Amino acid sequence: MHDVGGQMSEPVRIQSEDFSQDEEIAALKGSSRRMGGIGTFLGCARDFSEGRDVEQISFEAYGSMALTEMQKLRTDAIEKFQLQDARIVHRIGTVRGGDNIVFIAAGAEHRAAALEACRWMIDELKQRVPIWKKEITPQDEAWVVPHP
Amino acid sequence: MISVLFFGPVADRIGSNRLQAEFRAGMRLQDLRDELAAQHPQAFEIVSMMAVNGEHVRDLALPLLDHSEVAFMAKFSGG
Repeated sequence: MHDVGGQMSEPVRIQSEDFSQDEEIAALKGSSRRMGGIGTFLGCARDFSEGRDVEQISFEAYGSMALTEMQKLRTDAIEKFQLQDARIVHRIGTVRGGDNIVFIAAGAEHRAAALEACRWMIDELKQRVPIWKKEITPQDEAWVVPHP
Repeated sequence: MISVLFFGPVADRIGSNRLQAEFRAGMRLQDLRDELAAQHPQAFEIVSMMAVNGEHVRDLALPLLDHSEVAFMAKFSGG
């Protein structure tokens, strides 16, 4: 089992196992009572892509760099949006349609910062964090070319 | 020696996820890239990101040090 991020309580993790949104949100709320809003993003696996059925999606990461980049991303978001706290969890290994892939949560005093930070973090993650996904269909498998 | 890492689509095209390159004094990232791209042109067609010792690098003129870890990577597709 891979677990690049360490213990469950770590706010930034890369892991093969599934995560619980409730536990992540509880951990986020536990860090401050000044949060008036929490924005979350859950990325999940689609079973259909580019006109083809997708049976599984396999993720590979440059583990040490990906974790460092995700930690920087969290720190940058906290500073940029004046967040109380933020959490980022990304799975690697193989998932199936409907499975969770990535969870991002941003807690701020007010809703606008929480929502904006959440959107910013997932957009930045896609640009900065060295993780690649391969879609496995009944016919073949292919690495995903990112959308612009 | 320099450790060169490949992941995902680039590793598939190279047929390996790691190789060792000889370090030469005065070597720059561009030199290493040119050397490897000549050996693995299909893999380097999709290389658009680079990292040295786990940090993003965009400047190919960056001098390399012996025992560096260099990654040549395709565009990321996580999330």
